[in-house]
Amino acid sequence: MTTLQAALSGALVGGMFAVMAAGLSLTWGMLRVINLAHFGLILVGAYLTFELATSWGIDPILTIVLTVPLMFLVGAGLQWAFDRLGVEEFASLLVSFGLLIIVMQTVSNVWSADFQRMPGDVNPYATQSVSLGRFVFPAPTLIAFVFAVVIVVTADQVLRRTFAGRALRAFAEDRAVASAFGIDHRRLGMVLAGLSAASAAVAGMLFALGNAVTPSTPFEWIGVVFAVVILGGIGQVGGVLLAGVLVGTLSAVVSATWSPALSPLVLFSAIILALLFRPYGLLTVRGAR
Amino acid sequence: MIAARGLGGFAVVFMALAALAVWREDLGLPMFYLVLASTALFWVAQATSWNVLSGYSGYFSFGQGAFVGVGAYTTAVLGGRHGVDFYLTVPVAAVFSAVLALIVGGLAFRLRSFRGEIFALLTLAVPFILAAFARVNSEIDGGQGVVVPVPEFPEWMGQFQDFLYLLNLLVAVVAVAAAFAIQHTRFGWALASIRDAEDVAEGLGVATFRYKMLAIAVTGLIGGAAGSLFALQIGFVTVESVFGLTIPLFVIVMSVLGGRTHWFGPVLGAVVIVLIQDRLSASGFEGWNLIVLGAILAVLVVVAPDGLQARLWRRPWPAVAALVLVTGVLAVVDAWGTPLDWFVSGVLAAVAVVLWPGHAPASAERRPPAPDHVDLGEIGESTGHSGQQLPENSKINGEPGEVLVECREVSRYFGGVRALDGVSLQLRAGELVGLVGPNGSGKTTLVNLVSGALRPTSGTMAVAGRDIVGLAPHRIAHVGVSRTHQIPKPFESMTVRDNVAMAIMFGRQPRPLTAAREEAEQCLDIVHLGHLAGARPAEINLHERQLLEMARAIATKPKVLLLDEALAGLNPAEIDAAVAVVRRIHASGITIVIVEHLLRVVNQLATRVVVLNRGRLLADGDPRTVMSDPDVIRAYLGRHAHARGS
Amino acid sequence: MLEVRDLEAWYLQAQALWGVDLSVADGEVVCLVGPNGAGKSTLVKAIAGLHRSTRGTIAVDGVDVARVAAHRVGDHGVALVPEGRRVFARMSVHDNLVLGAYRRGARSGLDAGLARVHELFPRLAERSAQLAGSLSGGEQQMLAIGRALLAQPRLLLMDEPSLGLAPVVVDEVFDAIRTINADGVSVLLVEQDVERALEVSARGYVLAEGRIVASGSAAELTGSALVRRSVLGL
Repeated sequence: MTTLQAALSGALVGGMFAVMAAGLSLTWGMLRVINLAHFGLILVGAYLTFELATSWGIDPILTIVLTVPLMFLVGAGLQWAFDRLGVEEFASLLVSFGLLIIVMQTVSNVWSADFQRMPGDVNPYATQSVSLGRFVFPAPTLIAFVFAVVIVVTADQVLRRTFAGRALRAFAEDRAVASAFGIDHRRLGMVLAGLSAASAAVAGMLFALGNAVTPSTPFEWIGVVFAVVILGGIGQVGGVLLAGVLVGTLSAVVSATWSPALSPLVLFSAIILALLFRPYGLLTVRGAR
Repeated sequence: MIAARGLGGFAVVFMALAALAVWREDLGLPMFYLVLASTALFWVAQATSWNVLSGYSGYFSFGQGAFVGVGAYTTAVLGGRHGVDFYLTVPVAAVFSAVLALIVGGLAFRLRSFRGEIFALLTLAVPFILAAFARVNSEIDGGQGVVVPVPEFPEWMGQFQDFLYLLNLLVAVVAVAAAFAIQHTRFGWALASIRDAEDVAEGLGVATFRYKMLAIAVTGLIGGAAGSLFALQIGFVTVESVFGLTIPLFVIVMSVLGGRTHWFGPVLGAVVIVLIQDRLSASGFEGWNLIVLGAILAVLVVVAPDGLQARLWRRPWPAVAALVLVTGVLAVVDAWGTPLDWFVSGVLAAVAVVLWPGHAPASAERRPPAPDHVDLGEIGESTGHSGQQLPENSKINGEPGEVLVECREVSRYFGGVRALDGVSLQLRAGELVGLVGPNGSGKTTLVNLVSGALRPTSGTMAVAGRDIVGLAPHRIAHVGVSRTHQIPKPFESMTVRDNVAMAIMFGRQPRPLTAAREEAEQCLDIVHLGHLAGARPAEINLHERQLLEMARAIATKPKVLLLDEALAGLNPAEIDAAVAVVRRIHASGITIVIVEHLLRVVNQLATRVVVLNRGRLLADGDPRTVMSDPDVIRAYLGRHAHARGS
Repeated sequence: MLEVRDLEAWYLQAQALWGVDLSVADGEVVCLVGPNGAGKSTLVKAIAGLHRSTRGTIAVDGVDVARVAAHRVGDHGVALVPEGRRVFARMSVHDNLVLGAYRRGARSGLDAGLARVHELFPRLAERSAQLAGSLSGGEQQMLAIGRALLAQPRLLLMDEPSLGLAPVVVDEVFDAIRTINADGVSVLLVEQDVERALEVSARGYVLAEGRIVASGSAAELTGSALVRRSVLGL
C-alpha cells in the first residue's frame, strides 16, 4: 500500500523532471548545445513566480503569462549569440556552465541565499491535495504532471506534424541535406531555444509551487534531469516523459522501501546501465539511427 | 634529462617558499600575505590535479568537488570521530579519492558513445550523489557537518597558519612536480595524443584506456590529499562546502585561463584567480566573485581557449612590461589602494596584454624551404641517399610468401546494410596489394576491420598467425598492423617530428623519447619531410600531411601497412612523389595494402589487385588480368561495357 | 537552365575544381562522369550551395547562385538527390517526402507532388508510415528522389543514384529519371555507371582530377577510349 502510494507520487514528481528535461533534451539533440544555463533559467523562473506571487499577488500559476514570453526572448537571444560565436557541444557545456554560475550568484545577490517559499495565502495550491480512491496526491505534483503531459504531448505533436517540427528533426539528423531543402537553421534554432527557455519558466513555476527554493537548488536538479534526458534519448521529447516517470518512481520506491540515501545510488546505476546498453535512449529503435 | 633537472628545481622552489613561513617574523611578512599564499597554493594543487586528467587528456571533469569532498570527509570523519592521527588520514584520503576516481573512470571510459560530453555530465553527477549520500548517512555527516580537530605540529613552524601554509606548499609542490614529470615522460605524451586524436593514438599502439585510468587516478590522489588539507583549513566540513559547483568552477576557470596543455598553466591561472578573488572580496564585492569567474570562463572559451601560458611563452616581454609599468605607476602616484592592489592591477594589465586578440597564436610564420628538388621518379629504385635507409627494420619480416594476413568469411553489417559480406582474403609477406572497387564497395570497412577500429559481425581474421578479432586496436598495432587515414589526423599540438616520435615511443619496439626523436628523423627522410621536422601540422599542406601519416605509420615498424586513400586530393606531381614514397616503403620490406581510387596508380604500384564490389570479393590477381576482367570493367563502367570491350 | 563558368573550389586543403565550365539546357539530361575523387560531388555540392566555391559563377536561369545561402538555392528551382541517399533515417517515409516541400514556394503543391511521387514509386506509398532508415537501399534511393521532386525543381541534381544498388533496382531508378525528365525537369546526373548514364543523357562531361577533360553528345562519348581511360585509368 505505502509502496504503491510512493510509486504513484514518485511518478507524478517525475512529471516535473520531464518538464525540466524536455527543453534541455531538445536543444542538445537538435542544436547540439548542451545548455547547463537551462538550470539557471529554471531557477530564475522559480524566483520570478515567487516574486510576482508574493509582491504583486498574482496567482502563482498565472505568473507564467509574464515569465514565459520573457524567457522565450532570453533563450532565443542566447542561441543567437551561441550561433554567431560558433559555440557548440563541448564549448557550449563550458560557456553555459559559466552562465549558470552567474545566474545562481545573481539570484543569490538579489533574493539572498536563504530558502524562499511562497506563503500559503498567495499559494493556495501548496496545501491542497487530491484523493483518488485510496491514494492521496499533493496538488502541486498533480499540477506538474498535468503540465508535463500537456507540454510533452504538444511538443511531440508539433515535431511530428508541422513543417517546423519536421524541419527540426531533419536538421538534427543531417544539417547539410536539411539546408538543401530550404531549412534556415539560424531562425529555427532561435525559435527552438526560445521555446526551450519558455519551458524552463514553466518548470520553475511548477517547482516553486510545491517547494522552497534557494540559489543552490539547481545543483539538486542536474543529476536527475540529465539522467532523464539520457534515459529518454537525447532529442526525443516523448522519451523524456517516460524517463521522468521511471526515474521519479524508481527513486520514490527506493526511498520508501530502503532508504533515501540509496536512491541517488540506484539512480546513478540506472544511468550507467542505460549508457552502457541503450546509449541512444530507451525508446530508440535499433538500426534506425 | 629534463625531468630530473626540473625536479631539482622544484625542491629549490619548495625550500625558498618554505623559508617564507619559517622566518616569516624575521622577514616582517604580514600574516595576511601568508594566508593569501596558502589559499593560492591550495588552488594550485587543485587546478593541477584537475589538469592532469582534463587538461592533458582533454576529458573535462566537473567532478573535482567529489575528490576534494572524499578527501575532506575522510580526514574529518577519521580524525574527528575516530581519533585517527591527522598525518595518517592524508594518505588514506588520497587513496580513497583515487579509488573513487578509478571507479568513475572505469565506468565512463568504457562508454563508446559521446565520450567527452558524457564523461563531463557523469562527473557532474558524482558530487551530487556523494552529497546526498553523506547528508543522509549519519556515519559520515548526517546533515550536521563534522568538526576537524587541529593536529599537533612542531613548534618551529610557528602559528597554525604557518603550519597550514607549509602543508599546502608541500602538497602543491608535489602536485606541480608530478604534473611536470608526467608532461615530460611517455605518460604525458600518451595523454597529449589522446587529447589530439584518441583513435589515431590507439591505432598507433597507445594503450589509451590504461593511460586515461592512470591520469584519473593521479587526479584523484592529488585532489584527495589537497581535500584533506581543505578540511583542516575550514575546520568544519559540511556537504555544501565541498560538493558544490564552486570547486569545479574554480579549477576549470583557473586551468582554462592559465592554459591546459602545460604544467605551468594551472599554476598561473590559480595565482591570477586567487588574487582577483581576494581583491574583489577586500573591496566589498564578495557577491560578485562567482559572477566574475563565470564571466571569465564564458568569455575565455570563446575568445582565447588556449589560455595564458602558451601566449606568454611566445611573447613574454609585453606582459612583463605591462606588469611593471602599471604596478610602478600606481606605486609612484600612491593615490589609491594598498601595494597588493597595485600589484593585482599590474597582473590584470599583463593578463589583458597577453590575451589581446591581436596576439593570437602565430602560425606558418617561419616555414623552412624545401630542399633542392629530388627527382622522385628514380627513388623507387632506392639509390641510397645518405640517411634515407629505413631504420633497421622489418627485413626480418619472415620469408617472402609467408601468409601475413588471413581473413576468412569476414562480414560487417551496419543496420541492414552489408558493408562487407563474406570476404575471404590472404595477404602474403612482401606483397603490395591494391584494394579497389567503386564507391561504397567496402574497402575502407575492410581497412577498419583489419586495424581493429571496427569489429566484424562475423568471420575470423589473423595477422602473423595471431587471431586479432576482438583485440584492442593498440594490441593489433603491436602485432604489426599500421594504417593511415583518408583525412590525415596529425597530433596538432606536436611538431611533425614528435608526431612520428610518438609512434616510435609506443610502437612495436618502444623507445625512449630521445632515441625516438632520432629515429623519427629517419622516417621523415623516407617520406621527404625531413625539412619540415620542426613545423606544426597546421603549417603544412595536405600533401605533406598525407606523407606525415605515412611516416607515422611506418614508424611503428609494422609488418603490414594499410594505406587508406593516401593520395586523395593530390595534384599529379604530388601523386608521383607519393607513389615513389610508397615504393620505397615497400622496398624496405613492409607489406602494403593500398586503397586507391586512381586506378592508374594502382596499376603502376601493385603486385596484386583485389577488387571489392558491394561488399563482396569480385576479383583477385595480377593487375593486368584483373583490370581486363569483364566483371571488373562492368563494376566500374556499367552493365554493357564488357560487350564493347576490346 | 544551368550555366557554370570557370568554377574553382577547394576541398580540405586541396583544390578540387579547376576552372570548370558546364551547362544544362532546359529540359535536358546531362551526365557528369569521371573516376572517383575527380571532384564530381564537390561540383554538385557547389551548385546546391552546400560547398562554397572560391571562384567562378553558377547561373541558374541567369541568376548567379554561387553566393546564395544553401537554404535559399532551392528557391531558384534547384533540388538535390545527394550521394549516398542521405534520407532522414529516423523520420517516416511520409515525413521525408513532406520535408521535401518545406520551402515556401513548394508547400502549395504538396498534395499533387505526393500523388505524383506515389505514382512514380508505388512502393513509397505502401511504406508511407515506415521509418526511412528501415528501407532497403533501392527504396531509400527512390525516397531521396521523391523528396527532391516535392521541392518542385526545374533542375534536379542527382549524385550517384545507382551507388550500391542491385542492377534491377538501378533499372527502376533510370526509368524514373526518364519519366521525370519527360515531365519537363532538367537533370544533371553524376554517375559511375557510365554506360547507363550516357543512355539516358543527351550530353555528357568527363571530369578528371578537377578538370573537364572531355565533353560531347552521348553518342560521341559512348565507347570513347578517352572515357574508358579516364575512368579505368588504363
